[in-house]
Amino acid sequence: MLYKKKLPLFIFLVPGLLLMVLFLYKPFIENIINSFYDMTSVVKMPGQEWKFIGLENYKRLFQDTKVRTAILNSFKMMILSVVFQVGIAFLLAVLVSRINKGQHIFRTVYFFPIVISASAIGLLFKLFYNYNGGMLNQIMIALGKEPINWLSTSKAFSMISIPIIWSYVGFYFVIILTGLNAISDELYEAASIDGCSNFKQVFYITIPMVRGVMCSCITLAVTGALKVFDLPWVIVPKGAPQGVTHFLGTYMYEQTFTISNIDYGSTIAFVIVIFGVIVSKIVSVLIKPDKNL
Amino acid sequence: MRKVKRLVYLVLTVVFMMSLLAACKKGDVKETSETKQETKDNGEKEENKQETKTENDKHNPVTLTTVSMHGGTDPNAANYQEINKKFMNDYSYITIEDDSQTSDQDWKTKIAADFAVGNEPDVIQFFTDANASDVLAADKFVTIEEIKAEYPDYAKDTLPAALEAAVNPDGVQRAVPTTGFWEGLFCNKDLFDKYNLELPTDWDKMLKAIETFKENDIIPIAVSLNNVPHYWVEFLMLAAAGPEGFTTVPESAPEDWVKGLEMFKTLRDLGAFPVDTDTIDNDFAGELFKNKQAAMQLDGSWYAGGIPDQDNTVVVSFPVIPGGKAEPGFMVGGLSSGFYITKKAWNDPDKRDAAVKFVMAHTCSESVQKYWNGNGTAAAKVEPLADMTPLGISGLNYSSAATSISTPTDARIKQEAYNTLTAGIVDVSTGARTPADLIEEVLQVNAR
Repeated sequence: MLYKKKLPLFIFLVPGLLLMVLFLYKPFIENIINSFYDMTSVVKMPGQEWKFIGLENYKRLFQDTKVRTAILNSFKMMILSVVFQVGIAFLLAVLVSRINKGQHIFRTVYFFPIVISASAIGLLFKLFYNYNGGMLNQIMIALGKEPINWLSTSKAFSMISIPIIWSYVGFYFVIILTGLNAISDELYEAASIDGCSNFKQVFYITIPMVRGVMCSCITLAVTGALKVFDLPWVIVPKGAPQGVTHFLGTYMYEQTFTISNIDYGSTIAFVIVIFGVIVSKIVSVLIKPDKNL
Repeated sequence: MRKVKRLVYLVLTVVFMMSLLAACKKGDVKETSETKQETKDNGEKEENKQETKTENDKHNPVTLTTVSMHGGTDPNAANYQEINKKFMNDYSYITIEDDSQTSDQDWKTKIAADFAVGNEPDVIQFFTDANASDVLAADKFVTIEEIKAEYPDYAKDTLPAALEAAVNPDGVQRAVPTTGFWEGLFCNKDLFDKYNLELPTDWDKMLKAIETFKENDIIPIAVSLNNVPHYWVEFLMLAAAGPEGFTTVPESAPEDWVKGLEMFKTLRDLGAFPVDTDTIDNDFAGELFKNKQAAMQLDGSWYAGGIPDQDNTVVVSFPVIPGGKAEPGFMVGGLSSGFYITKKAWNDPDKRDAAVKFVMAHTCSESVQKYWNGNGTAAAKVEPLADMTPLGISGLNYSSAATSISTPTDARIKQEAYNTLTAGIVDVSTGARTPADLIEEVLQVNAR
C-alpha cells in the first residue's frame, strides 16, 4: 500500500469534485429542469415565474425536421471522422514512423492545424468559399470557368466537412505515431527475416500492436463528432444554407442564443448528452478497446 | 542592528524628501505655465480649471460602470469614447469602467443575465421598446420623473417629443435618447445611370431595375437572408399592410402580412438576391453594395456613414408592392434607445451625482450633435451641418419627406417571436414554408 492514510487523498480530491459539481453537474441538472419550463429569459428575473410545460419540448423534438437533419449530419460526421480523420492520421503515422530523418518536421507540420483556433480556420475557409471574390472562385475565373456557389445546399455539407476533418488529422496523427514508436523494431526485423513484406507488416504487426491506441482515437473521433460546433458556425452560421448543415451543437446554439428559445435549446443540449453516452457505449461495445487479441 | 535601522530611516527620509521636491517642481511648472497665459480668455479658462479642480477635490473618488451599444464597429464608438474622455478630464474624481459592445442577440442576452443576477452597470444605453422587456422586468431603472425631482436640469436639452418617443412599453419614461433612426433603400445611383434606369420609386421601376441589373451581372439587391433579413421583413409587411395594419399585433396571420412576406419568394425567383444570400453574412452583403457589385440595399441611417461613395449613393423611399395598403413615402424609423440610470447607482450617494452627470454629458446638445452628425434623427436641438455629403442630404430629404413613420416589429412583439420570424425567412423565400405558417408560429410564440 503506497498510501496508508486515505484522508489526505480525499482532501486533495474534494476541491476538484466541488468545482465539477458546481460548474458542470449542477448546471446540467438545472438544464434538464429548464427543458420542462417555458423560459422567457436566460435567467429568472426577480418576481418572474416560468410556466411548466412538461414534455412539450420533447414532443416538438420528434416533429422537428431540423433536429432530424442535425442528428443525421452528426452521424455522418462520426463516420467521416473515423474513416478520414483516424484513417488518414494512421496512414500518415505509419509512413512517418518508417522514416528515420525528418520525422520531427512531419510531426510539426501535421500537428500545426491543431494549434490554430477553430475560428481562424473557419474564417479562412469562409474566405476560400466566398462566391464573390473568394479564393476558389478567383482560381475558377482565372481558369476561364464560371464561379461556383461552393456553399450551395448540395455542396455545403461536404465543404464544411473538409476543414473539420483536416483540422483534426494532426491530433490523431500524433497519438498514433506515439503508439507506433512504442513498437519494438526487433519485431519488424524478425518479420523481414521471415520474408514478411512491408505491407503485410502493417496488417500483422502494426495494427494489432496499436489496437488500443486506435480504439481510443476512434472513441475520441466519434464523441468529438457529436460536439462539432465552432467550425460550421463560423463558416455557415445557423445551419446555412437552409438548415442543411445543422449539427446538434449548432442547432442547440441557434435555438438558445439566436432565437432565444432557451428551454428548447436546453432540451437539445440534454439530447446531445444522452446521444454522447449512448454512442460512446456502443463504440466501446463494438471495438472492445480492452480486449486482448 | 541599530546602525541598520538608522540607515533604513535615512533612506526613507531621503526618498520622502525627494518625492516632496518632485511634487513641488510639478507645481512650479504649472505655475510657470500659468504665468505665461497672456490673453484674458486663457486666464479665465485656467481659473475655471482651478475651480473645477477645487470642485473635484470635494468629491470622493467614484468608479462608474457603464455600458452602451457604441462599441466595436459602431459608427458612434469614437464619439462615445471622446465624450467619455472629456468627461473624465472634467471630473477627475470619476473613473469610467466601460464595457460597450455592438448590440446583437448575444449582447442582449448577456445584459439580461447581468440584470437578473444583480451585476447591472450604473449607467446603460439600452433599448426602450419591447427589446428591453426582459431587463425592464427586473425593475432596476430609475424613472426620469424621480431624477428630475432632484436634478431639474436632467435631460434639459432633450426634446419633449423625443423623450415621449423613448417611453418604455409600460408608459414610463426612464431613458434619455440621443438619436433616432430611419431605415431606407440605399441605391448606387451611378449604376442606375449607367444602365439608364430610373430609381425604384414604384414597383414597376423596381422590377425593371432587377431585370436589367440581373442581365448585366450586377446583383440587384444586396441582402443576407440568413443573417439580417430584418429590414426586408419590415418594409415588405409595412408596404402590404400600411402603417395601421403593420403596427397592430394580430391574433392570427393577417392576409396583408402574408402578402408582404410572399414577396420574398417572388424576389428570389426573379434573381434579385445574391446567389449566396443563404450563406453570406450582413457585412459581406454590405461590401457587395459598397463595391458596386450590388445596386440596392435596405439598411438603417447608421449605415450611411460607412459608405465610401457619398456622392453617388442616394436613399429613396421603398416602393409600395402591388396591392399594398401603404401610402408612397412610408418609412420605418423611430427612437428606440436611450441612457438609463440604474437603482444601484442612484442609491449610492457618491455614484448618484456621477451617473446623472454622465448621462447629461452624453445627452446634451453638443454630444447629440456629434452622435447625430447628419444621420438619422436627433433627440435634442442640433445645428444643421454645413459640410453634409450628398448622401447625408439625400438621407435627410428622405426622412423629412416621409408620409408615415412606423417603428419596427420587434418594438411590439417578444424577442423570441421576432427571432422566430427572421429565422424563418430563408425557408419562406425558397418556398419550403408558407408565410402564413411562419406568421402563425410567430404569433403563437408571442402569445405565450
